[in-house]
Amino acid sequence: MQNGVRVRAREGGENLVETPDSASVREPEAELLEGARRGDVSAFERLFQTHGERMKSLAANLLGSPSEAEDAVQETFLKIYRAASSFRGSASLSTWAYRVLVNTCYDLLRRRARRPESPVSWVEPPVDFGSAPAADHPLRVDLAASLAALDSRRRAAFVLFEVEGFSHREVGDILGVPEGTSRSLVFEARRELQRRLWGSREARA
Amino acid sequence: MSDCRRFKEWLDRGTEDGFSELETHAAACDPCREHLQLWNAISQAAPSLRKRWESPELWVRIEKAIHESRRAEEASRGRKESRAWWPLLAAAAALFLVAMIGLRVFRPSLGQRELLTSRSFSKPLLTEDALSDVEKSEERYVASIERLSRLAEPKLRQPSTPLLISYREKLLLLDTAIAELRSQLDQNRFNTHLRKELLAVYQEKQHTLEQVVREEKS
Repeated sequence: MQNGVRVRAREGGENLVETPDSASVREPEAELLEGARRGDVSAFERLFQTHGERMKSLAANLLGSPSEAEDAVQETFLKIYRAASSFRGSASLSTWAYRVLVNTCYDLLRRRARRPESPVSWVEPPVDFGSAPAADHPLRVDLAASLAALDSRRRAAFVLFEVEGFSHREVGDILGVPEGTSRSLVFEARRELQRRLWGSREARA
Repeated sequence: MSDCRRFKEWLDRGTEDGFSELETHAAACDPCREHLQLWNAISQAAPSLRKRWESPELWVRIEKAIHESRRAEEASRGRKESRAWWPLLAAAAALFLVAMIGLRVFRPSLGQRELLTSRSFSKPLLTEDALSDVEKSEERYVASIERLSRLAEPKLRQPSTPLLISYREKLLLLDTAIAELRSQLDQNRFNTHLRKELLAVYQEKQHTLEQVVREEKS
C-alpha cells in the first residue's frame, strides 16, 4: 500500500512526500482536493493509498494499539469526507488529514482517560518492518515504553519528526504551531526520553 | 563550573542551543560519553518504531462508513425538506397577509419604497465574501502575533526564571487550544461561536507574549 512513496528530506520543502518528479506531487494534491470537495470517494481512496500506512503508524504510536489506530484512521477519513466540501484551509489536504488524525487521537486518549478501568495493552499484529531502517535496534522496546509515558503533545511531535520523518515545518503545520515550537517540543521529548531511558538503564544495572 | 556538571545540567534543563559545545566535551569524557551515546541512540532507534502491518479490510470499512454517512445525510436532508415544506408555506402565507395589511395601512413614501426595494435586502446576512473578510483579518492578526512570538522566542527558548517557564507552558497549552479550534473551524467555517472562542484564545496568547516581552525588558 506504500506505492513507492518515500519520506522527503526534512529541511525545507512544502510537500509531505515526494516522488521522482516533485511537480507531479503538487498536481495530484490539487486534484485530490478538488475530488474530495466534490465528495468523490476515489479521491479519498487515493489519499488512503498514499498516506494510509503512515497514518496508521502515527496513530499506533500515539494510541499504543493497532485496532484503535485503525479506528482513528477510519474516523479521520469520515471527518474529512464530511468537511471537505467546506475546506478552505491554507494547508494541503494531506497536512489537514494528518492534523485531523492527531486531534482524533487526542480525543480518543481523552476518552480513554475518562475510563481508566479499561487499560489498553499493545498486542503487536504481524508486522512488516521492511521499510523501517532500524527495526531491530536494541533500544526499540525501551524507547517505545518511555515514549508511551510522554505527554501527548510532545509524543506527537517526536513521533512525527523522529519516527515518521516529517520536517519541523510540516510538524508545525500538522500540530498548528510555529516551526520553532515544533523544534522545542521534539527537543523536550528527546530530553525526557533520555532521562527515562537512563533511569531504567541504571535501575537494571 | 566543570564541563561534566554543565553537561549534566544541560541534560536536565538545557535547550537545543547549548548542545554543540558540550558535545565536544562529552566526546572526550568517558562518563559523559555514555550519556551522549544514549542521546544519539534515541534518534537512531526512533525509525524502528514505525509500524507497518497489513489491514486489507480498513479501506473497505472506510468506504462503507463514507457511503453510510452519505446515505444518512441524504435521508436527513430529505426529511428536513419534507418537514420544512408546510411550516414554510404557512409562514410565507402569514407574511404575505401581514405585508398586504401593512401596505394598505401605512402606504410608504417614495423614499421608504426605495429603501424597501434596495438591493441590500436581497443579500443574505453572512456571505462567503464576509467570511473571507473575517478570515483575512484573522490572518493579519495571527501574523502580528507571530511577529510578537518571534520577539519573545529567545527568552522562551532559554527561560531564566520560573515565571518564564510557566509562560512557556501556558503558550504551549494555548497553541494546543488554537490547533484544536482551527481544526474544528476547518470543518465548520461558518461557526461564529468557534470563531469567537478562537479570537479569545489568540487574545490570551497575545497578552501572554506581551508579558514575556515585558519580562524580557525588565
